[in-house]
Amino acid sequence: MAITAVQNPTQIHRLPQSKYIDAVRWLPPLSPLSKLAVLAVFDCDADTPFLETHSLSIPSSSQTLTLTPHSRWTPPSRITSLAATAGSLHVVASTLSGSLHVLSSGHDSMVDDNCGSGSMMEPVLSVDEVGFHVGPICGVDVIESVCVSVGEDGRVNLVSFGDEGFRRVFDGNGLVGFNAVKWASPSEFVTGGYGFGLQWWDLRRPGGPVSQLKGYWSQGKTVGMIHSIDIHPSRKHTCLAGGSSGTIFAWDLRWQQQPIVLSGFGVGDAATPSFPESEVWEVQYDCYTKPSNISSSRVLPAMFGSEDGILAVVEQGEEPTELLAEPCAINSFDIDLQNPSVSTEQKPYQTQFLVQEFYIYVFVGFACCHTGCHM
Amino acid sequence: MSGDTNGGALVAYTEEANKAVVYPLRHGVKPPIYRLAISWSRGNTLRVSVMRKPSTSGDSGDEFEGKVVEVKLGNGDGDGEISDVQWRRIAYGSVSPFALLQSRRNSVSSLSKMSFNSSPYHVEWWEYVLEYSKDINSLLGNRQSPRSPLIEDPKAILKKIEKPTCLKAAWELMELFYADKLSQAWLPELLVDWLADYDNLLSGTQVTVHLKLLDFQKDLVSLQVIEDHPKFWEVVSSALAVGWLEIVVKLLRLHGSYQFDQLGNRETENGLVETVAVLISKMPRMRPELEAGKLGECFKAKPDFVKAWEKWRTQITKLECSPFWVQCAHHQTREGLRNMLQIMLGNTNSLCTATCHWIELYISHFLYVRPFTVGLESMYGLAQKCIQLKPMASSHRLMGLLIGILSENIEVVLAECSKGFGPWMVTHAIELLTAGNDQADTLLHEERHNLGGISMEKLHRLVYAQVLSSHALTWQIAPIYLTSCMQLGMGLLEILLYKQPVYNNQLLLKNIEICRLYELDSVSSNIMKIAGMYHWKHGKKGFGIFWLHQARDEVRLNRIAQKMFDSVGKSISDESFRQWEGLIQLLGSESKAVGGLEFLHKYRDFKKSLLQIHDGRTTEASLQAVESLISLMKNPSTPPRFWLPLLYDSLKLLNWQERPLLNSSETSLLLNKLQELSMAKLRPDFVEADLPPQALSSVRLALATNLGRSILEEQ
Repeated sequence: MAITAVQNPTQIHRLPQSKYIDAVRWLPPLSPLSKLAVLAVFDCDADTPFLETHSLSIPSSSQTLTLTPHSRWTPPSRITSLAATAGSLHVVASTLSGSLHVLSSGHDSMVDDNCGSGSMMEPVLSVDEVGFHVGPICGVDVIESVCVSVGEDGRVNLVSFGDEGFRRVFDGNGLVGFNAVKWASPSEFVTGGYGFGLQWWDLRRPGGPVSQLKGYWSQGKTVGMIHSIDIHPSRKHTCLAGGSSGTIFAWDLRWQQQPIVLSGFGVGDAATPSFPESEVWEVQYDCYTKPSNISSSRVLPAMFGSEDGILAVVEQGEEPTELLAEPCAINSFDIDLQNPSVSTEQKPYQTQFLVQEFYIYVFVGFACCHTGCHM
Repeated sequence: MSGDTNGGALVAYTEEANKAVVYPLRHGVKPPIYRLAISWSRGNTLRVSVMRKPSTSGDSGDEFEGKVVEVKLGNGDGDGEISDVQWRRIAYGSVSPFALLQSRRNSVSSLSKMSFNSSPYHVEWWEYVLEYSKDINSLLGNRQSPRSPLIEDPKAILKKIEKPTCLKAAWELMELFYADKLSQAWLPELLVDWLADYDNLLSGTQVTVHLKLLDFQKDLVSLQVIEDHPKFWEVVSSALAVGWLEIVVKLLRLHGSYQFDQLGNRETENGLVETVAVLISKMPRMRPELEAGKLGECFKAKPDFVKAWEKWRTQITKLECSPFWVQCAHHQTREGLRNMLQIMLGNTNSLCTATCHWIELYISHFLYVRPFTVGLESMYGLAQKCIQLKPMASSHRLMGLLIGILSENIEVVLAECSKGFGPWMVTHAIELLTAGNDQADTLLHEERHNLGGISMEKLHRLVYAQVLSSHALTWQIAPIYLTSCMQLGMGLLEILLYKQPVYNNQLLLKNIEICRLYELDSVSSNIMKIAGMYHWKHGKKGFGIFWLHQARDEVRLNRIAQKMFDSVGKSISDESFRQWEGLIQLLGSESKAVGGLEFLHKYRDFKKSLLQIHDGRTTEASLQAVESLISLMKNPSTPPRFWLPLLYDSLKLLNWQERPLLNSSETSLLLNKLQELSMAKLRPDFVEADLPPQALSSVRLALATNLGRSILEEQ
């Protein structure tokens, strides 16, 4: 593994991998000085997908960072979406063949039971029965042991950890399809699909979406899909979405029909190409960048990764700050919210984990460096 | 190309290619095998289908009737010095320097065209090439040792470094000769440095000075009297011959006469050792600078160097004739030191014994015999001489490459690159070869009829692109090499793009993104059409329409619309209305592109307002419904078979209690449509709507009543 370190407060560790990486999520740490992450990988040579957990030792002198394989599980087909619970050490994975799996990374209580490292990823629940989803599940999210899954078939299903089977919320019969889903509260979630449309669902009011952002609000020539949605726990009325053609926008339920565009269509004049130009695969609120203007009407800073290999932070009304520009796509990234972990220098670390098609990047930086820009 | 043995093959291949390799197949199909089919699968895998003759008895049970197995063909992986992961890193990392150089070439050549300059390239073109070369070089590994220990081991003569790769050594060799034009005057010295870095790579196939030093290093720890060891003087003179001066001086200072208890009775001996060490560290070098810790005195200008060189040699000769040698009692020291002086004076025999293979001998000649050697011709002559003196016991790919470069034969260089280092090397090294070299430029850029009208440079790019295309993790970077060859590359790129699967949305979008980058609009719309049909056929109607809509495929959308009408009539009941809502929304207001689907949009509006009518009172909704009905009936995109169901649905509008909602002209229009419908029914392709038998008569009655009422009202 080659590791290149950049000489500035934020260090980038680049760890080449032999397999294609589809998604990544942080898991609660094993110990104060090591972190745990789950990766959805695909071995193109053998045509086999894997779900792997890796532990990551945090370097004390920012010299060597090692990624140690921890456990591995083979899903029935390629993983399309990954979600992890904040507290309870569960990983939820959905597959291209339409099955959903809940796995316990169970490393806390049963360490060294029988075989040394002991902790294996155990599937605690698999839903793949007929009628669950037809074709790929595109998005999955979990909150308080309830998962919501959406698919190209237009179905929205709920799966609870304790129960067998699933609960159908909606069946679009393939007439509509969803790409992404995110819980807002234990009874509300937001879905997104093609045409840049978003739907707000409330389980207390069944039958269909409670509120909708109509697609095709952008009058541009191209339209595309939503790939990722994020909702900030402190501002549930606003959801952030990223999708095709470098589009990142926020949808505020209080001003329903007009999305706030952060990047992509409608920013600047139409003649200048937007930045980035290609698919935004993942977007998340960046809790480590201080907003330049703290007002409840402004959208909080967000980080995104795109097909053209750009990782950047974007803020409403400002030029995006580019953190990384790489020759291959950034498929997924995750910001570690389990902070601050404390290093020897007694400063909180910011750690981000991001994966390109076959690179893993780990950003390790100090939170104090993040008042201005990242690097 | 060069190799007559390869029968004029364009891409050099090794003799090993002719050896048969056996791959065992485990198919588990019971003989007799009836049929065997072999085809290429992904990458290096072959797909073999094995089939039995279908058994007629029917008692085959669990036995396989046939099986498909994949065989992965090993490609030997070169010498295995670079792992797959590292190769991929190099492949991805070299994309942007390559692309940058290409775009610079384009801008430079367009500039020179504008100024009618005869030279195709800018004068400083090689500076760009050098920058490119350095970028690529940095990808191939770092020469710096990881970290020097705080307390240096006094007996460690060789620094511990990561083993360099042959690929990097080869790249640096190419850079020295082709890209680094500023340093041409110091080429011999640069070669000295090169060998110091990479002599250990040659140790695999033959004895080298590096290997000797490594062996001696092991003995050194246990040695008490170093100068008595027979190997000591051999190692010191070998290191001197190849110019590793700091190692030589360090070894000399380990000499026993330096120890305090011996200094008294070995004064002369120590003096001689120290004089030689000082002479070595003062050796004049014709080069601009030396790295820190390296010994010698640098001279940039030739006259200064010649003066210093002559002076240095005079000092050595003087020392050789000095009377102190007689007083030196230690035999090995005396002989060893005198041998070193012979090396420094350039005695061919001494150099020959001290060095291990021809490159080392060659380097020693540069250092001690012909430091002024300039020009490839004389360098080649010298190399020939050295090979005669020290014939190659076994060939090494680096040696082959060096001879090729020195012989100024571009074809040999290309062949050696290709044979030893593969298509990546050839593709990227061509940029170095052609920098400021007219002969190479014409050879590589000339379009050749026998290559299908492309140049050799482009051929090699295509070969490399094919290698990239064959792997799922690298095909994404193949387009950059394919698009640099318009004649053949674009076709290959289209094939590559069409080959990618459409069932995974993410991969599909990545594919389309490549089309966008290379402005392949037609390819991308074809891919979208394929994806649209795939989704449509798999029941994901929404995604199907989305992709066809993106591709602006009106023909297919119209046909889809026809099909959808069938289900619309049945399924747009009040219940399933919500499901349609999403789809209709998807169609958006951009009705032009969606062709016949425009009907759905209007139908939705109609249904919606119809649902909102609760009682018999005239409201906004009822007027809205009438408006929708009329516009639906007027619209040519509404299929005739929907006329009757539409009218039947709007019976309550026609029989409005309060007042007639439709005026007389509107009602006549609807009546006319009904008339047309009865004509249309005679056509064979007419599909009867699923309505109660009295539907037609009740609609007719309602229309007639409404007409009467509206005429009365209008009067």
